[in-house]
Amino acid sequence: MNKRKGTFGTAALNTPFVVWSAIFIIVPLIFVIYYSFFDQDSGVFTLDHVKYFFGNPSVLKSFGQSVWLSVASTLISLLIAYPFAYFLSKKRPASQRVQMVLVMAPMWMNMVVRTYSWATILEKNGLLNNILESMGLGKINIIGTSGAVILGMVYNYLPYMILPIYTSMSKIGTPLLEAAEDLGCNSFQKLTRVIMPLSLSGVVSGIIMVFVPSISTFYISQAMSDRKILLIGDIIESQITGMWSTGGLNRGAAMSFVLMVIILICTFIMNKYADSDEGGMMI
Amino acid sequence: MTDRNIIELKNITVSFDGDTVLDDLNLSIRDGEFVTFLGASGCGKTTTLRVIAGFITPDNGDVFFDGKRINDLPPHKRNVNTIFQRYALFPHLNIYDNVAFGLKVAKVPKDEIERRVDEMLELVNMKAMKYRKVQTLSGGQQQRVAIARALVNNPRVLLLDEPLAALDYKLRKDMQNELRRIQQTTGITFIFVTHDQEEALSMSDTVVVMNEGKIQQIGSPTDIYNEPKNAFVADFIGESNIIDGVMLEDYKVKLDGREFVCLDKGFRKNEPVDVVIRPEDVDIVPAEKGELTGEVTSNTFKGDYYEMIVDVCGFKWMVQATDETKVGAKIGLIIEPDAIHVMKKSKYSGKFGDYSTFSDEMDQMEEEEEEAELESEATENE
Ligand SMILES: Nc1ncnc2c1ncn2[C@@H]1O[C@H](COP(=O)(O)OP(=O)(O)OP(=O)(O)O)[C@@H](O)[C@H]1O
Ligand SMILES: [Mg+2]
Repeated sequence: MNKRKGTFGTAALNTPFVVWSAIFIIVPLIFVIYYSFFDQDSGVFTLDHVKYFFGNPSVLKSFGQSVWLSVASTLISLLIAYPFAYFLSKKRPASQRVQMVLVMAPMWMNMVVRTYSWATILEKNGLLNNILESMGLGKINIIGTSGAVILGMVYNYLPYMILPIYTSMSKIGTPLLEAAEDLGCNSFQKLTRVIMPLSLSGVVSGIIMVFVPSISTFYISQAMSDRKILLIGDIIESQITGMWSTGGLNRGAAMSFVLMVIILICTFIMNKYADSDEGGMMI
Repeated sequence: MTDRNIIELKNITVSFDGDTVLDDLNLSIRDGEFVTFLGASGCGKTTTLRVIAGFITPDNGDVFFDGKRINDLPPHKRNVNTIFQRYALFPHLNIYDNVAFGLKVAKVPKDEIERRVDEMLELVNMKAMKYRKVQTLSGGQQQRVAIARALVNNPRVLLLDEPLAALDYKLRKDMQNELRRIQQTTGITFIFVTHDQEEALSMSDTVVVMNEGKIQQIGSPTDIYNEPKNAFVADFIGESNIIDGVMLEDYKVKLDGREFVCLDKGFRKNEPVDVVIRPEDVDIVPAEKGELTGEVTSNTFKGDYYEMIVDVCGFKWMVQATDETKVGAKIGLIIEPDAIHVMKKSKYSGKFGDYSTFSDEMDQMEEEEEEAELESEATENE
């Protein structure tokens, strides 16, 4: 009826957001596209920078590494987060709140600090190896393995998996679960027939929120692999910071752009998949 | 209906955070019976159903199903289905899959599921939209899906928590008949909750009147109406004049200073009692011929009768009559012996059954004021 009435108020409320988006999202995006597709000296349109991504074996190898490590950490996060959220949502409300605070607590600390702490624990002369040695077991090399990078990713991004899954589970509410019980479901059937379908949107959000930062990280791999494993993020970073003057900026931008498109396509497919089973959700 | 008890509640007590919600409840329900819980909001009807369904373990007392104690049997193992007060339909499933849910869990063969679900949807008049998402349905449509979802499982006992509350008058009447018919043909025990007394009286074999977590009376609809046990029941079921009286001896009660012949006995000599007289049981005669006389203070046309408030010695009676009597007229009242129901005094005595604060009077005064205002406005506009 009065849809128009709110327009001014809505616009006023939206303005800061629009300005913010323009400055921090649209403008950088335009720069990325510009550097990806135009020759820096002549200003002519070119696909050379993008071709660098697909034509260079070391870039493709890093990209492959990124994909497999981020897929692995996303799956591991999911395997940890889902049961955790499920059992948490069955607890009393007070204890649910306390545990959610504990889940989020590490996020209050800077990611760099957290990752470096892991690295110092795991490194050759770190805490873990000291303990192992004092127990008479030999040292083990963890830093530099894929496992270490996955550990870093899972550790850093796990809360982003738990949070949306837990939220979607607690939104289901007791009445629906009681209805399921009333209709003959035991705990397991309740899980498969009601809780899983109704928390699917949370799972999709969680997957996106873990997968996207994992596939583009450069920092975790540096800290946890001692620069032995180069992810696509590391390549982009080194192109931009190290070869700024020799076209690195263009190649870095092009790689970022390709990565962004791939992520967008994945996100889109995931959302489509979730939508077919349940109403709206966040991207 | 058989003589065997299918559900027995023995000394059930339930409290939430120190508040006693069900207080030493005792109830037996026979196999195939249509039982209705009737009571005001918050009196514990839903809680009683939840005890039977297994969602609440009583603090005290035992629940028996078919003679077996089932206090510790989880809900999914009880042969009971519920139509929830707030529907609780599954938002991720369409109408068909909601109704098929219980049968699928029970691993009923696919073609049988299809047949039974279709039959059920036909019954509740929802077959045409069986693939619609349930979120898009109106309250009444959701309620009908909820009915189908529970009933399709063919349980021994069906719990119905105000299943018709969201339906319009006509649909409600249809569904009342339909549910009654289903109950009679299937022989499923129905435990039905409502706060609509007409619904309770017209549908049930047995009515259980509850108040504040206690059962006030259990009986057939006619028993409940004709022989209310205390002032609460008399007032809750239908309209009642509840007058202080004294039981002089068997078959003789005194009220408003006059002796009346009645059909009740078994009280102490001169025991103070509550006397219930239904508005439709009072006969109106000219003032000089009445056993009691009073002045008409209001008169409302109700379609097929007039509802009058009559001031008899300061106590306002509600009286129904087919003929109109002018406000202010003096009339006589005659009360036949079978119109008098004598009840023992209870904690509800004196709280109900006097129409001196009756809202119709207020309404009428307001209406008259409004009319006056309208008239004065009209004259101003001219
Ligand atoms: N889980 C609960 N925790 C605390 N109090 C509760 C709970 N469930 C019910 N109650 C209280 O118990 C009392 C009885 O509730 P119940 O739902 O049985 O009422 P009802 O007779 O079904 O009422 P209505 O007609 O409004 O549905 C109410 O006072 C209610 O507030
Ligand atoms: Mg209720």
